[in-house]
Amino acid sequence: MEHIRTPKVEQVRLMDRFSNKSTNGTLYLTATHLIFVESSINSSTAAQEIWILHHHIASVEKLSLTTTGCPLVLQCRNFRVVRFVLPKERDCHDIYSSLLRLLRPVSYEELYAFSYNPQQNDQQREEGWQLIDLRAEYERMGVPCDQWQLTDVNRDFKVCETYPRDLYVPITASKPIIVGSSKFRSKGRFPVLTYFYQERKAAVCRCSQPLSGFSARCLEDESMLQAISKANHNSRFVYVMDTRPKLNALANRAAGKGYENEDNYSNIRFQFVGIENIHVMRSSLQKLLEVIGTRSPTMSDYLVGLESCGWLRHIKAVLDAAVFLAQAVTLEGASVLVHCSDGWDRTAQVCALGSLLMDPYYRTIKGFMVLIEKDWISFGHKFADRCDQLDGDPKEVSPIFTQFLECVWQLSEQFPQAFEFSEWFLLQIHEHVHSCQYGNFLGNNERQREELQLKERTHSLWASLLGEKHNYLNPFYNPAYNVEHPVLEPSTLPYHFKFWRNMYHQFDRSMHPRQSILKTILTLKDKSAKAESTLQALENRLCQLGVTPVVTSDPAAPPPSRDQRSNPKALPPRPNSLILGAPVNHKEEQRRVEEQDDEVGEEALENTDTERTVEGSSGTESRKQSYDELEGTYNELAKEEPAVVSLEFGVARMTC
Amino acid sequence: MDKQIGAGAGAADGAGPNRKPRAQGTGSSSNGDGLDSPTGSHVEWCKQLIAATLSSQMTHSAPADPNRENRTGRRPDWLVSKRLPYRNLPALRYGAQLKMSQNEVPLLPGENVHITVKDVMYICPFSGLVNGTLTITDYKLYFIGVEQESPFILDVNLGAISRLETISVPNQGENTKGLELVCKDMRSPRFAYKTEENHPDVVKVLSQHTYPLTHSMPLFAFLYKEQFPVDGWKVYDATAEYKRQGLPNESWTISKINSSYELCDTYPSVLVIPTNISDEDIRRVAVFRAKHRIPVLSWIHPETQATIVRCSQPLVGPSDRRCKEDERFLQIIMDANAQSHKLTVFDARQSSVADTNKAKDGGYESESFYTNVDLNFLEIPNIHVMRESLRKVKDVVYPTIDEAHWHSAIDQTHWLEYIKLLLAGAVKVADKLESGKTSVVVHCSDGWDRTSQLTSLAMLMLDSHYRTIQGFQVLVEKEWISFGHKFSSRVGHGEDNHSSSERSPLFVQFMDCVWQMTRQFPAAFEFNELFLITVLDHLYSCLFGTFLYNSEQERTAQEVQTKTISLWSYINSQPEDFTNPFFVDYEHHVLYPLVSSRHLELWTAYYARWNPRMRPQVPVHQTLKELLFVRAELQRRLEELQKEAAAHSLSSSSEHSPSHTGTPLHSAV
Repeated sequence: MEHIRTPKVEQVRLMDRFSNKSTNGTLYLTATHLIFVESSINSSTAAQEIWILHHHIASVEKLSLTTTGCPLVLQCRNFRVVRFVLPKERDCHDIYSSLLRLLRPVSYEELYAFSYNPQQNDQQREEGWQLIDLRAEYERMGVPCDQWQLTDVNRDFKVCETYPRDLYVPITASKPIIVGSSKFRSKGRFPVLTYFYQERKAAVCRCSQPLSGFSARCLEDESMLQAISKANHNSRFVYVMDTRPKLNALANRAAGKGYENEDNYSNIRFQFVGIENIHVMRSSLQKLLEVIGTRSPTMSDYLVGLESCGWLRHIKAVLDAAVFLAQAVTLEGASVLVHCSDGWDRTAQVCALGSLLMDPYYRTIKGFMVLIEKDWISFGHKFADRCDQLDGDPKEVSPIFTQFLECVWQLSEQFPQAFEFSEWFLLQIHEHVHSCQYGNFLGNNERQREELQLKERTHSLWASLLGEKHNYLNPFYNPAYNVEHPVLEPSTLPYHFKFWRNMYHQFDRSMHPRQSILKTILTLKDKSAKAESTLQALENRLCQLGVTPVVTSDPAAPPPSRDQRSNPKALPPRPNSLILGAPVNHKEEQRRVEEQDDEVGEEALENTDTERTVEGSSGTESRKQSYDELEGTYNELAKEEPAVVSLEFGVARMTC
Repeated sequence: MDKQIGAGAGAADGAGPNRKPRAQGTGSSSNGDGLDSPTGSHVEWCKQLIAATLSSQMTHSAPADPNRENRTGRRPDWLVSKRLPYRNLPALRYGAQLKMSQNEVPLLPGENVHITVKDVMYICPFSGLVNGTLTITDYKLYFIGVEQESPFILDVNLGAISRLETISVPNQGENTKGLELVCKDMRSPRFAYKTEENHPDVVKVLSQHTYPLTHSMPLFAFLYKEQFPVDGWKVYDATAEYKRQGLPNESWTISKINSSYELCDTYPSVLVIPTNISDEDIRRVAVFRAKHRIPVLSWIHPETQATIVRCSQPLVGPSDRRCKEDERFLQIIMDANAQSHKLTVFDARQSSVADTNKAKDGGYESESFYTNVDLNFLEIPNIHVMRESLRKVKDVVYPTIDEAHWHSAIDQTHWLEYIKLLLAGAVKVADKLESGKTSVVVHCSDGWDRTSQLTSLAMLMLDSHYRTIQGFQVLVEKEWISFGHKFSSRVGHGEDNHSSSERSPLFVQFMDCVWQMTRQFPAAFEFNELFLITVLDHLYSCLFGTFLYNSEQERTAQEVQTKTISLWSYINSQPEDFTNPFFVDYEHHVLYPLVSSRHLELWTAYYARWNPRMRPQVPVHQTLKELLFVRAELQRRLEELQKEAAAHSLSSSSEHSPSHTGTPLHSAV
């Protein structure tokens, strides 16, 4: 609190990013959040609130004073960009300097996770941390088995401090082999099992680059690969995927690192995949954000910008690698060893996506959590450095995990029936990777997390996400689809890679479509559920009256309870998602209690009166502006609409 | 499910009617699962969609593809060939249903086989050579692979062929000739065949039937003998449509002045013009407007009485000619709308081009002569630019896609840029009417290309009626067909003059704009993507009379309505296939699409549909249809039970009335 000099500023204007509109309100600065509360014009509409967690702010910039006030621009890690105009320069400066300090925590203890308390007791918190059990996950895959075993070699993080304690290796790999191999690998990250494809006994292993230089050899490392190869009887060889471009690998060789020489290792097939490094990815995202931040780009600006920033090309490269991995394992039954330089960025992406393509379990909500816990958290993707949790080296920051989430989203666009979770789930995970509100993503590896005693001092994100699972369900999910298509075969033609508007424009109201298919489906599901329970109630009533109703094929519905029906809280809650439309405000919820019956999703039908309604950009506004700016206007004349979008409440509820 | 989905893929490539009318003839109930079950109709729907979106280019016979050895690279061929078996197998089952032996060609009523050539090689750009038999009828070119198991089928409507080109085929022997069919629908299949002395020349036969008009033969639409239960020619009745809009009223009248096409030979016979203007004055106005296309009403706003009026350019010329009657005519149009004392003229052309036109005796309304008139140029390039742009789109998507430069390649076609211009122009027109309450006059040079695009798009935004299946048909019939968009010249039905500068894909561009709107408002349109694609397919096919000829006058002279069948007969006989399950009638809603570059995208489901890796997005609709079915079932049972409850309970208490569960989202399930 000692950094906060001005806790409250009134008469602040919030400028819309893509139009000339603005809203007036009050800005509050708290120890954890920056809050903007819109001054409500009339009491009937709930005031809009924006809560911005300090950890989410990537940069804050004070622009030079104008006639209308002093502008303050915030760029957030969840791609929110806000521009406030404060009436007095002094206030602006105070807020600015407070924020500068607040958004650069120097020690882990300053992070929100250590002060965040969702009103759970210790037992609930422990249960939250026990939700994901990686030993159980390996058992699910069928490991340990006759070829693979759990090794205790890294019990004390002695062999590799960035690996987890529990590691799975081939039974023929003895301790000396493991230790020898780890000495020959960057950061000691020797080959270990990450996914086991039971059907063909093929394994996906991961490691870091070998320290081969131009000619160095290591017999233990060679026998390690031999052991992996022998553990799979289906194939005579192991694929070794180096996910780097060949040029980068060659450059590493000059530094005494490098890649496997096919002549030294028997039975390997070596392959470069060509995913660029973290620096390329960082600047690519930066360019993408510049392109999409343009207020009214021409078609050419946009298309050429989208291509030259290379973002979608990188996404495609990652997916291509994952497709290669999945095909090698499922079709050829070959084991694959994946590495990059250190084996914690590109390797994590490719292994996780490959497993997602092969195993329907990872496409469920729980399974996806397990996947992230396994391939990202436990194997030491450096979340603290990559997501800039503490004031660290800016060169270490890179959107590697964001890229992974986007790949999953691109897949879910191609296979709408294959995923149990919706886009909203991915966005929430992304939100919290940066929020530092839960302990899961803090630190760089398991060892560090244990030192921080995160399980004792913070809460787990997975518990909270599972608690509101209903918000993240994909209405198109069809388990039967995954039975028929256990292995997904995505097409990687360039036009299948779309710009993820809901991620990068999540907080820009004017960028969202006005009508949502998702919402229609959810409403329909809601209604069916209601009809079912009414049906049951009627049948019960008939029974009471002594009549046996003609029972035709009965839909499986839970026994009805009247309290349930009359209690609006028992209605399937409306997810507060941006994809699903109108924000659910406190006041709105109040109203819903009063008029519960005609609420849910009837907006579209309400408009059957003869009044003409304008959808899309409002005409009256547009005449004042040039027509190119039509695209940026958000129309408030339109009635509440299936998918007029806002997330503000969602964020507020999540972060406080 | 997949097997079922695949059923249509092989049998009905390209155009639906090859198959669908037959199913009608035999009765759809014989399909096993009838169309009333959601799965049944969905199967049909999928079949249609896949028929339209997937090419039978996907061959099963891809012989041990050479790229297979290249284990290290990505393997698109593998992806293709693996998916094929279950796509093509059921084609056989379908063939059996039609009681045809495998090598027979499915024929439409009235269709005849003209030549069958064996040992033809189809040079598939995706999976190499396919050996098979080529049949040419008076409607289509039909190629069937020799492989017994799951024959490869390629079916091209002759109408879709733009030009025939001889190509060289290396390594196939002396007498082998190559043939490339450059098509209007974004593909160019290639064949290699052997020439033999005593055989008639395939190319000659093909060209004869591809260009029947050049060879003084009738178009196939005049030979087609299908019977449909619905008569599509009844869809559009000009007087009824104007009546729906509330016309005539005190300011506007339905005029018979052009009943015998004397005033203007490219206009329809029924025109709506201002009430208080004499026939004599109209004739003077006609002389002052290019091709005599006088300002006439297209649409009137139900509340403000603001109107969309269309015409051609005024013949001002370099000497700034004036026409008092024309000036007065526009004044009357302005006066007919009491809400505004202005009139806005939208000239679709680029202002520089309009100036050039002025030097060549054309021109535009001068704001100093026409009082209270605002003149706006929408800066849309002409038909030649559009033709060139779409040609570039074809180069980008067919046969192969340059993966590294996808976006910049699209950019270089400028296609989306023009889509953006058109949509933005239409939004301006619609907004002027809706918010500005001002009448607008839209014209370009002749008032039959860009003008049709703009008025019809603006009307689609303003009037929810045009967003229904029937309403859209009315819109096309009215703004495009009756107002003389020169379909015959722009498409080149049955004519050999493929290099004609008259050709241009203006209607395709319009449909693309409609598709962009359906993307932004997925619940506002009653029709689905298949509908749009089907209409475009039959724009070229010459199977139906709908898009033939340049004007109403020509159509009347050729007795199109009595001698051919309307495309709408086909579509309206099976509306369930073309219905958007998400449709909610947004009545009285004005829809302004966002024209930002972030919201426009290339319609790959149409332009890139011949690529075998194209993946149709079916499942989402399937989910909805199932849900709707479940709900209908629940609703039915609810009603039953309620009746029963009412009968047994004296005090049928109000708590049991499930009044809010039964509002239908849409009626055509």
